[in-house]
Amino acid sequence: MGTLKSHALPPEMTASRRPVAARRGRPLRKRWSLAAWVALIPMMVTVVFAYLGTMLWTARVSLSNSRTFPSNDFVGFTQYVRLFHNDRWLVSLQHIAVYGVCFIVACLVIGMLLAIFIDQRVMAEGVLRTVFLYPYAMSFVATGLVWQWILNPELGAQSLLHKMGFTHARFDWIVDQDFVIYTIVIATVWQASGLVMAVMLAGLRGIDDELWKAARIDGIPRWRVYMSIVIPMLGPSVSTAFVLLFVAVVKLFDAVVAMTQGGPGTASEVPAKFIMDYLFGRANIGLASAASIVLLATVLAILAPFLYARSRSASRKEV
Amino acid sequence: MNSRKQWALKSGIALALAITGVIAQAEPLKANVIHWWTSGGESAAIRQFADAYNQAGGQWVDNAVAGADQARATAINRIVGGDPPTAAQFNTSKQFHDLIDQGLLNNVDTVATKENWAAIFPQSILESIKVNGHYYAAPVDIHMPAWFFYSKPVFAKAGIAGDPKSFDEFVGDLDKLKKAGVIPLALGGQPWQEKITFDAVFADVGGPDLYLKVYRDRDQNAVKSDAFKKVLASFKKLHDYVDAGSPGRNWNDATALVISGKAGVQIMGDWAKGEFSAAKQAPGKDFGCFPGFGPRSPYLVAGDVFVFPKTDNATAIKAQNLLATVMTSPQAQVAFSAKKGSIPIRPDVDVNQLDICAKEGIAIMKDKSRQLPNPEMLLSPDMQGALTDVITNFWNKNQSVDDAQKAFASALKG
Amino acid sequence: MNTTLEPSARVSRQQHARRKRFSPSRLGIYSFLIIAALFFLLPLYVMLVTSVKPMDEIRLGNLLALPAHFTLQPWSDAWQSACTGLDCNGIRVGFWNSVRIVVPSTVFSIVIGAINGYALSFWRPRGAGVFFGVLLLGAFIPYQVMIYPMVRVLASVHLFSSLPGIVIIHTIFGMPVMTLLFRNYYAGIPLELFKAARIDGGGFWRIFFQLMLPMSLPIIVVAMILQVTNIWNDYLLGLVFAGTRNLPMTVQLNNIINTTTGEKIYNVNMAATILTSVVPLAVYFISGRWFVRGIASGAVKG
Repeated sequence: MGTLKSHALPPEMTASRRPVAARRGRPLRKRWSLAAWVALIPMMVTVVFAYLGTMLWTARVSLSNSRTFPSNDFVGFTQYVRLFHNDRWLVSLQHIAVYGVCFIVACLVIGMLLAIFIDQRVMAEGVLRTVFLYPYAMSFVATGLVWQWILNPELGAQSLLHKMGFTHARFDWIVDQDFVIYTIVIATVWQASGLVMAVMLAGLRGIDDELWKAARIDGIPRWRVYMSIVIPMLGPSVSTAFVLLFVAVVKLFDAVVAMTQGGPGTASEVPAKFIMDYLFGRANIGLASAASIVLLATVLAILAPFLYARSRSASRKEV
Repeated sequence: MNSRKQWALKSGIALALAITGVIAQAEPLKANVIHWWTSGGESAAIRQFADAYNQAGGQWVDNAVAGADQARATAINRIVGGDPPTAAQFNTSKQFHDLIDQGLLNNVDTVATKENWAAIFPQSILESIKVNGHYYAAPVDIHMPAWFFYSKPVFAKAGIAGDPKSFDEFVGDLDKLKKAGVIPLALGGQPWQEKITFDAVFADVGGPDLYLKVYRDRDQNAVKSDAFKKVLASFKKLHDYVDAGSPGRNWNDATALVISGKAGVQIMGDWAKGEFSAAKQAPGKDFGCFPGFGPRSPYLVAGDVFVFPKTDNATAIKAQNLLATVMTSPQAQVAFSAKKGSIPIRPDVDVNQLDICAKEGIAIMKDKSRQLPNPEMLLSPDMQGALTDVITNFWNKNQSVDDAQKAFASALKG
Repeated sequence: MNTTLEPSARVSRQQHARRKRFSPSRLGIYSFLIIAALFFLLPLYVMLVTSVKPMDEIRLGNLLALPAHFTLQPWSDAWQSACTGLDCNGIRVGFWNSVRIVVPSTVFSIVIGAINGYALSFWRPRGAGVFFGVLLLGAFIPYQVMIYPMVRVLASVHLFSSLPGIVIIHTIFGMPVMTLLFRNYYAGIPLELFKAARIDGGGFWRIFFQLMLPMSLPIIVVAMILQVTNIWNDYLLGLVFAGTRNLPMTVQLNNIINTTTGEKIYNVNMAATILTSVVPLAVYFISGRWFVRGIASGAVKG
């Protein structure tokens, strides 16, 4: 891959320069465009009926006074006003922002390091890979409880430090209003880094062996190869991992419920839990829908520049 | 020819007899029941209902879903999707009133009239299940969410003689426990547990009148009164007696503290007795229980009901009526309560099988003036949630009593 | 790799290898991996230790202590006799249901994701990007919000409460991530390869099955890890959409672990969780053999 630099323009764009080929190519182009569209039918049906349909339905419900069931009692933007006067919602947005940054950065760094280190032809690679991946396999209801115990000052790490003699050691983040969100970061990074590692490893394994040989012949130190060549080539993998992590951040729910129930008080409240609580427990789907739309709009605002930049460079291979 | 005709006639008669014989034998009335009772103790309890139902000619098909919110959501989605269960569990509350408004529930008026529910059930429960003049739910138990459980050995060690007779005496006992080196109050710092603790203090310190003015009448003046301020202050005072590891703790882990003698008291519903008996501790011997302070303390009434999703299928309706009858029958009620830790919904039952805490509860229930409906019965789930948010904020942050009072008033306005 | 070497070169290679094994960089690599592994294994240790202690010991609250009375009863209970409602048959009840849900769901979602990624990455029909954008945005909707509308949609085509219904639901929910995975992976495959195949006369499907799919093994492994885990561990969607005859194992697991006001038997909960995760773990371990390097390299040179 490193040896390829020229990116030819897609045939559609060159057809106009070669009229003869175009005459031959136009029916061809239609034929293969058609096959692609046919193949994409499941995606288009899903997008329209499942996703777009749900988004529009949610928007409609958010403009109404719906409780357990959607109602036709339209109240304009009342739900949105109520939403932004709701302290729990506002703090949940703050928390998810802090959490998101810490979680994504930590997972990308740790996942990348693990992938690179495992890629070094280590012994028992299969075992190591499974060790880093197994957290992802386990239901967070149980593992979240275990983390709650480990982080509890009287049951877990702090009491262990005290027993070992460090009587003034403090690790009671989980009961601290300001630090509890970081305990959620710890537990969820534990769960997700292995997956990031797998994604990066797939990318690393796709890198041509020739590259390593060439670098060794040139005498470049290994770490330099990584920094200047390999990591940039992992662009698509990083981008995939980033989106996976971003989705996990927005949907963060199980961990919070299992570890802190949003507490102490509302110190670890997150948007997905807010939405769930109002959707099911509090029987107010109007408010929950408004919150979902706000969340979706925020995600769109963050992703849109990213996607726009990508589509601008559509004529080149996206990285 | 003749013999063949005879043979055909004979086999035809035999076939006809066989078919009618099959039809005459009653088909068991199949009932798909959604509920959230999945633990060992709860399973033993609901088995009493299932067995009674099966004996009465039904066939109980169990659809247990852990987690009350998920169970209710599953029931609602199945109803909407066209695959409704025969019966679904809800709390004695306003949770199922939206279903009634949408016309998604069958009523059980025939059973209610036949079994004379109006005369047997407590008033607070009747008000929850009877909507627009029709009975839409079958109540199956009464739980009291604010019992005080304490470890007898720990109380003895701290030099506490008996049950406290007032809130101030209770606080004094908590001080004694603190001096004895144990955690005075075992609390799981989750919003719903904090709300239970608050409601216990509210009922005891504020009194039934204030309680009803606030929760039932949503009277803003009552909330802004000094009496309510005192309730909030008393509630916050308990925070001094809770250990540092309390936030986030599950309620069973808090009970475990009392069981193992690390803590003195826990304020929790009578379902906590299940944890004690799982640890082989007996009420009256290893742990004590009292529902409030003094001989006139209010008794909060909460519980569970089963609703019956709308269907026009005659067999399903028969099954629903049979379920409603069986679950509220005296024998099934006693058998269920003994396993569940709750008290029966009807007073005309033989209570000897029940433990002493339940017996005390039943005796109190006979006095109508001491019954107080749980906030869930009086408020919509949304408002109950909003008030829980206010309480948990007040408990966990350094908020002043005045600010908490204002927040409570504003949440109550809706 | 070249195996016929001069004897002297072979010896020096062995020496080089031996030196390489104990060099500081190797030591650094191994120590990092071991320390990371210990951090990752800590909760598993707590879970294992808790799952073999009787409840009395657990109530005492010593997380890391080894059991004083070792017992495997919680494991047996979790598998076959823990109460999940009226029935007390443990988690094994739903095992085959889970398999019947996971296998078709995984296969469909991966196949559709691969086709979508392939079409979006190489063929790029005009306007398909918009659909992909909406699809990606859809990944961010909390799935609980989608349950009610999807119930209505499935009910209208009479697929609610059925096995095909739950397979469709899992495919729908998996589509955004699967499509993204494959699209980004194919984005890293040189366009020259594709154009060469087109020049050779390959059509849409031929190129897909004969060229792209065989090259996609590493990303198929990642996709399988994602989908098997998510679908195997899902319980809310299975609960709502699969119908009472097809309830997956996770419904029983959730009934064991989660109770509102019932007693929590922690040792059984831990055992049940570990038992349930065996299937995804097996998938991770076995799929490792496909995490091989250099798949694309041969194709590039050729």
